[in-house]
Amino acid sequence: MQRKIKVITTAVMLSAVASFVNAADLTKAYEMPDASKMIEKDALAKPTKYTMPKGCISTDAELIARGEYIFHNLNGKKAKKTPPKGLVKFIEKKGKDGKVKKKPKQYGNCVACHNIEGAKGAGNIGPDLTGYKAMFIDTKTRDNQFVFQKIADARIDNPKTHMTINLTTKLFNEREICDIASYIVADKKK
Amino acid sequence: MKRVILPLALLVTMATAGEQFAMSDADRAMYKEMLENNPADIYVEEGGELFEELGDEAALAKFLGVSEKELPKYIAGFPRYVKKLGNVVGLDQVMQAMQVEQGKKQFKLKSGKMFSMLAYVKSLANDEVANIDLSEPHEKASYDLGKKTFMTARGGRGLSCNSCHSKDIVGMVLRTQPLPDLGDAGAGATWPAYRMTKSSLRTLQRRFQGCMKNALLKVIPIGSKEMVGLEVYVAKLAQDKKKPIAIPGLKR
Ligand code: HEC
Ligand code: HEC
Repeated sequence: MQRKIKVITTAVMLSAVASFVNAADLTKAYEMPDASKMIEKDALAKPTKYTMPKGCISTDAELIARGEYIFHNLNGKKAKKTPPKGLVKFIEKKGKDGKVKKKPKQYGNCVACHNIEGAKGAGNIGPDLTGYKAMFIDTKTRDNQFVFQKIADARIDNPKTHMTINLTTKLFNEREICDIASYIVADKKK
Repeated sequence: MKRVILPLALLVTMATAGEQFAMSDADRAMYKEMLENNPADIYVEEGGELFEELGDEAALAKFLGVSEKELPKYIAGFPRYVKKLGNVVGLDQVMQAMQVEQGKKQFKLKSGKMFSMLAYVKSLANDEVANIDLSEPHEKASYDLGKKTFMTARGGRGLSCNSCHSKDIVGMVLRTQPLPDLGDAGAGATWPAYRMTKSSLRTLQRRFQGCMKNALLKVIPIGSKEMVGLEVYVAKLAQDKKKPIAIPGLKR
């Protein structure tokens, strides 16, 4: 970069010397990096409909604990408590240079927008999910498939949603979506 | 050098922000103290000295082809189309071109020195309301690109700027933080600002990058057409709310 600037500078000075009448061309004399390709690569895929896999929703305590952890934390770097069995804080990824890098595992940070049992500092952009089972599942207003789809890709039943997209973006895999959904519909009365 | 003052309007918003933002008493006390003595003032002053090396207001006015008297109003129209630069550009990019023209070392757009100089130059337009001119076709195109960038959902969580900054969720809370209306907050008129949580001077485009990083949108570089467009878009929001330019701002 530094060299490039020097080259530009000399070029500009040279052209200034070369032509007394024409002012130097300044159309390249400043940084204007391309971002369009970055944005294109980062684009969100079309709304996708999913079917909950068999055995998705479960009352298994370990699995619900993972869902709970994902719900309440942003990523492995920010999360304070040790994650439950089967969940890691960092994942190793091979970079372009072939070196293996540790990257924090991303979680759901659902609590940023939703209140739920035991939430700390919950937001209110999304509906309160406290007492979800009694209010929505037991009354048959909603079913497990609805919850699964909502977390996987909320645009299917609400094209203008402000909610995060979690399966279509590959932020999580199917199993993780099932873990989170299981946590939401779980009976949380102890 | 023109003295940089913190206008009354900002003082008032900050004072009411106290309740709105549910700060602790200790935070509020710190806010009050910082208002009287914005830590960013030193950066702005440093920026003024760097700007002097480029020949001050007279040189800038000449470079832009306006009179010194018109300069503040003209600055309030940035990012704007500058014919000899061939694009809609920010003031920082104008500074870079001036440095090149004068054969001086160019500051990177993301450098601290550039942030300081930008803060100083923008503060020359303090108390003016932004005047983004959408009848100018290049500026209209930049605004449209900015709006599109603002609305485009992307990244690991499929969010757009609008997911958190649309009218219908202003004032709602995202993990203890109330979401500001970018127009009412005068976002387009109060950056560069001192960010208390980062203990440093940040520019508007740097602030955009903060939101991108937090929300897992791929962080795009300062000075790109999309970033300049976003700045045009956000400046226009402040303009529509008649928020006067007040540099340096003070932010949480
Ligand atoms: C940026 C804000 C935001 C985040 C983060 C967020 N949500 Fe939501 N969520 C919403 C909004 C807004 C709605 C209501 C609109 C809709 O249904 O699309 C919603 C709706 C829902 C619903 C449907 C409730 C019902 O029965 O109508 C569920 C379930 C849900 N979210 C779960 C989650 C989970 C799990 C996560 C984390 C993986 C999450 N949300 C993250 C904003 C958010
Ligand atoms: C997940 C939510 C979220 C997303 C997505 C998001 N923001 Fe923000 N933004 C926030 C919150 C919360 C704040 C206030 C933070 C604070 O108080 O410091 C904020 C603050 C800002 C500010 C500062 C406002 C001021 O007071 O001057 C600007 C400017 C801004 N956002 C622009 C953007 C842009 C541009 C994008 C898209 C590239 C974006 N935001 C995406 C949540 C978000």
